[in-house]
Amino acid sequence: MGNMDPKALRSRVENISNIPTIPSVLKQLSTIIENPKISLNEISHFVSKDPALTTKILQMVNSALYGFPGRISSVNHAVMLLGLNVVKGLLLSVSVFEIMHKAMIGLREHSIGVAIASKILAQKKGLKEPEEVFVAGLLHDVGKVILTLVYPEDYDKTVKEAEAAGISIFEAERNHFSETHAAVAGWLSEKWHFPKKLCDCIANHHRPQVSTLAPLETAIVHMADILVKARGLGFSGDNLVPEVNLKAWETLGLAEADLREILKELEDSVEQTEEEFRA
Amino acid sequence: MPKIPVEQLKPGMKLARPLLNSSGMVLMAEGAELTEARISKIENMGVDSVFIDGPSRPAQPKEDLLNALDRRFAKMEGNPQMSLIKKAVREHIEAMYG
Repeated sequence: MGNMDPKALRSRVENISNIPTIPSVLKQLSTIIENPKISLNEISHFVSKDPALTTKILQMVNSALYGFPGRISSVNHAVMLLGLNVVKGLLLSVSVFEIMHKAMIGLREHSIGVAIASKILAQKKGLKEPEEVFVAGLLHDVGKVILTLVYPEDYDKTVKEAEAAGISIFEAERNHFSETHAAVAGWLSEKWHFPKKLCDCIANHHRPQVSTLAPLETAIVHMADILVKARGLGFSGDNLVPEVNLKAWETLGLAEADLREILKELEDSVEQTEEEFRA
Repeated sequence: MPKIPVEQLKPGMKLARPLLNSSGMVLMAEGAELTEARISKIENMGVDSVFIDGPSRPAQPKEDLLNALDRRFAKMEGNPQMSLIKKAVREHIEAMYG
């Protein structure tokens, strides 16, 4: 197919209105919504674990409809501001109207891993809102889901090409679409009025050095992505660990002992989360 | 932390997560050390398995994980930061096997 016109790509991407979620999530969600004793914490915890659902919920609460345009970047915050019943209603409508698509196998595990690692790093760096960095981690690869949705055959080819050529998925994307999943997700985050810091993080997680609004948060998601790939949790389109950006590395200033501590904490949390998913 | 079936619990093990009843009340706290009495209490609660402190062993053999690690880092030879990350992950994987 060769290089795609970036403007055409952008307009195509910006005009999709639905993001797929996974059928089993719908089932779990109905169970949760049907439970009259569900707590605020349980519901936001549940939603935070699913990237597509989180996107949709944040997109909705950040739309002018709810009067908080661009201000809400975590599900916890949404639930606190909007109240349980509104969020339940949103969740249900999201899941019912959701078109089910086959997303990349392993991407959910990868995204959850990166979200958890981002939160651990954010806490280590003393950030006040580790929950927001968690969301950025959860959504950092949402562009891949969007590309598979909009261009299923081309994206499939891109994944195969990356594997055959031994290159990373974002290089293969650039060859094929002239842009990457990070840019795609960035455009959509802006269109959905996500907080600017969150857009910056998502759009620049492969080039954290250009982030101006959230350099620390972007360095965190960049590093979290690398650690999760290094550990081999989930699948995100290729089996190569991307090179860490030197500026991000210096911003974070992690020693080997810190890395081991983070990996240990990550391992424990991921294990728990997967248990919860199976339950 | 491994999830251990109730019949394999032994005194001295420590709970890695609190044990809750169906309405979310804590019946045994995180970090509680198991005794014979506590183990039979858990059995009587009808719980199948509980989280216990300590590393869990992955299902794959260690060699497979380490070979996969080498493949993932194949293009990063000679990069000092990436070598440090790889070393930390290698040690992390080795620690999981005790």
